[in-house]
Amino acid sequence: MATVAPPGREVGPNIPEANIQLPSVRNYRQVTDEIRRTLNPTGMWLAALLAAITCLLIGLGAWMWQVYMGLGVAGYSPPVMWGVYIVTFVFWVGIGHAGTLISAILYLFRAGFRTTIYRCAEAMTVFAIMTAGLFPILHLGRPWKFFWLIPYPNWRLIWPQFKSPLVWDVFAILTYLTVSATFLYIGLLPDFAALRDRERNPLRKHIYGVLSFGWRNSDTEWRHFARAYLFLAAFSTPLVLSVHSTVSFDFAMANVPGWHATLFAPYFVAGAIFSGVGMVFTIIIPIRRWFNLKHYVTLNHLDAAAKLCLFTSLIVGTAYLTEFFIGWYGGSEIEHSFWYNRVFGQWWWAAWIMLTCNTILPLTLFFQKLRRSTTWLFTLSMFINLGMWFERFVIFDPSLSHEFEPWQWTAYAPTYVDWCILLGSFGWFAMWFLLFIKNFPVVPISEVKEIIPPLLRVPRAVEGIEVTGMHLEYEPETPGERD
Amino acid sequence: MEGIVGVFRELDSTVEAIQALKKLRAGNIAVYTPAPRHELEHIIPHGPSIVRLYTLIGGLAGATFGYWIPIWISDYWPLVVGGKPVPSWVPYTIISFELMVLVGSLATVAGLFIHSRIPRITMTVGYDPRFSDAHFGVWVECPPDRQGDVTDTLKKHGAVEVRGEQ
Repeated sequence: MATVAPPGREVGPNIPEANIQLPSVRNYRQVTDEIRRTLNPTGMWLAALLAAITCLLIGLGAWMWQVYMGLGVAGYSPPVMWGVYIVTFVFWVGIGHAGTLISAILYLFRAGFRTTIYRCAEAMTVFAIMTAGLFPILHLGRPWKFFWLIPYPNWRLIWPQFKSPLVWDVFAILTYLTVSATFLYIGLLPDFAALRDRERNPLRKHIYGVLSFGWRNSDTEWRHFARAYLFLAAFSTPLVLSVHSTVSFDFAMANVPGWHATLFAPYFVAGAIFSGVGMVFTIIIPIRRWFNLKHYVTLNHLDAAAKLCLFTSLIVGTAYLTEFFIGWYGGSEIEHSFWYNRVFGQWWWAAWIMLTCNTILPLTLFFQKLRRSTTWLFTLSMFINLGMWFERFVIFDPSLSHEFEPWQWTAYAPTYVDWCILLGSFGWFAMWFLLFIKNFPVVPISEVKEIIPPLLRVPRAVEGIEVTGMHLEYEPETPGERD
Repeated sequence: MEGIVGVFRELDSTVEAIQALKKLRAGNIAVYTPAPRHELEHIIPHGPSIVRLYTLIGGLAGATFGYWIPIWISDYWPLVVGGKPVPSWVPYTIISFELMVLVGSLATVAGLFIHSRIPRITMTVGYDPRFSDAHFGVWVECPPDRQGDVTDTLKKHGAVEVRGEQ
C-alpha cells in the first residue's frame, strides 16, 4: 500500500523516541486473528522447507563422507588446521547475538521497536546456536567422543582442562543455548494459551494446551511472569557479552600474529551483534511481506533497527582501523608483515570483501530514505552476511597461514566438503526456522496487545484508570505504518 | 471452590467493577487479562514477586558450583601448567559466571512455575477462553449467600456475561 502523508507533514519516523505505535492495529481480537493466520501452511512455505531439507541432506552427505575418509578431505594441512568449520562456528554464534540483544537488552532499555521483531530474532538465536554447536563436533576426528569435554565422573578418572578456552566455550555455548531457549519458551507461554483457546483442530488444540502448561492469564501468573521475564532478560544481557568474548578467547589466548590482541573480546561482540542485525533483516523482511505483517513490523521498526545496524557497523569499522593501526604502530615486524599480507598481499580479496560489506556499504544507512527501503535493507543484509563470514575467515586463516617462520607460510583453500557442509548448515538453520514460523506465532500476541490501546467504554483517561500517554497520543494517520 | 465469573469487554468497566467488588468485600478476587495492564496491577496490589528469591539462590548456587568443580578437579589431578597455581581462580571465574547464569535462569523458571501453579492439568473453575483473546475476566470466590450481590455488581458495571461456577 502507498503511504499517504497528511498535508503539511513530512514522511518520517513518527515517534522520535523508543515507543513505536501500531496505528493499523485496532484491538486485541485483530491481533489474535491476524497472527493466528500466519500459522496456515502454504505451498511456498512447503517449497522453502523442501529446499532447506535438500541443503541439509547435501551437508549431511558431505559429513558422512568426511567421517569415512578422515578430516583430510576438508582441506586441512599444517599449519592451517582451523578452516571453514571454525569460521562458520563463529559466524553462527555471532548471528545469535542480535537476537538476544533485541529480545533481552532492548527489553531492559524499554525500546518499543523490539516488540514485533523480537520473537523472530529470539528464535533465530536459538537455531543459530543449535547450528553453531554442530561445528566443533564436525571438526573432531572422532565426533562421537564429543561428550569428553563435559565434566562427568568416569572410569578413566579424566577431567577436562578448565584452563583451556575450548572448555570455556563448551560451558558458554551450552549455557547460551539453554538460557536462550528458555527465554524464548517463557515468552511463548501466553501465546500458546491464546492459540489453545482459539484452535478448533483437536490435535493442534491439545498440543498447544500441553505447550501452554495450563496458562490462564490470571493476575498472579502475570505478576510472576513479569518478574521472571525481567530476570531472564537481565541474565541474558551479560551472557551476550560473555559468550562471544569467550569465543574470542579461543584465538586471543594463542600467541599467533593477528590473534593475540586484547581488542578481540569487544571486537567480536560488536561484530556478532552487527552480523545478527543483518540476519534479522534477511529474515524479517520476507516474513513481513509473505505473512502480510507490514502493519506490525512497520517501516518505523525497520528504521530503528537500521540505526542499530549502522551504529554497530561503525563500532566494527573502528575495530578494524584499530587493528590496522596497532599492526603499524606496535613496532613488531612480524605483526606488520602479517597485516600487510592480510590487506594488500595474499588475502587482499577476502579482506576487501570484509571491509566493503561491513564498513562501506552500511554507511548508506545514514540516509533515511535507504533505512526505510525494504529492498535496500534486504540487499544490504545479504552483503552483511557475506562480509561477516569473510571477517571470520580473514581473522583465522591468514593468521595460521602466515605465522612466525617464513618457511611455514602456506595457502589454504576450502574444499567441496567444506562448501557442502556450509550449505548444509544454512539448510539446518532454515529448516528449524521454517518449522517454527508455521507452528508458533512469529509476532508476540500478548506483547503486541500490551502496546495497543485497550477497549474503553469512555475513550479517554477516566478517574481510577491510568491510561498511558502513548495511548493518548494515538495517531491513526501516522506515516510509516505501511510501505 | 465456588464463585462468580464476569466477562468484560472494556478495561475501564473491569477496573470499576473490581473497585465496587472490593467495597463489597464478597470474597477473593482474581483478574484475567489478555495482556498485563498497569491499571489492573494498581487496583489489585500485590507485594513483590517471590520469584526474585529463586533467582538469587539459584545464581549463588550456580556460581559456587562453578568455582567448586574446577577447583576440586584441579586438586584431584594436580597438573602444573606454565608455572601457574594448580587451582587458578581467574579462568575458573568464566565457568562460575556461566553456571551462575544457567542455574539462576533455571531457578527463576522453577519459581515462576511453582508460584503460578503451572503446569496445570485442567482449566479449573473461573476461566473462560475469551480471557486469552480480547476480554477481561473477574472471578470472585464467594459463598452462595453472597453470589447475588456479586452478580448484580458485575452486571451493573457492564459485564457482558456473568455466571456461577464451582
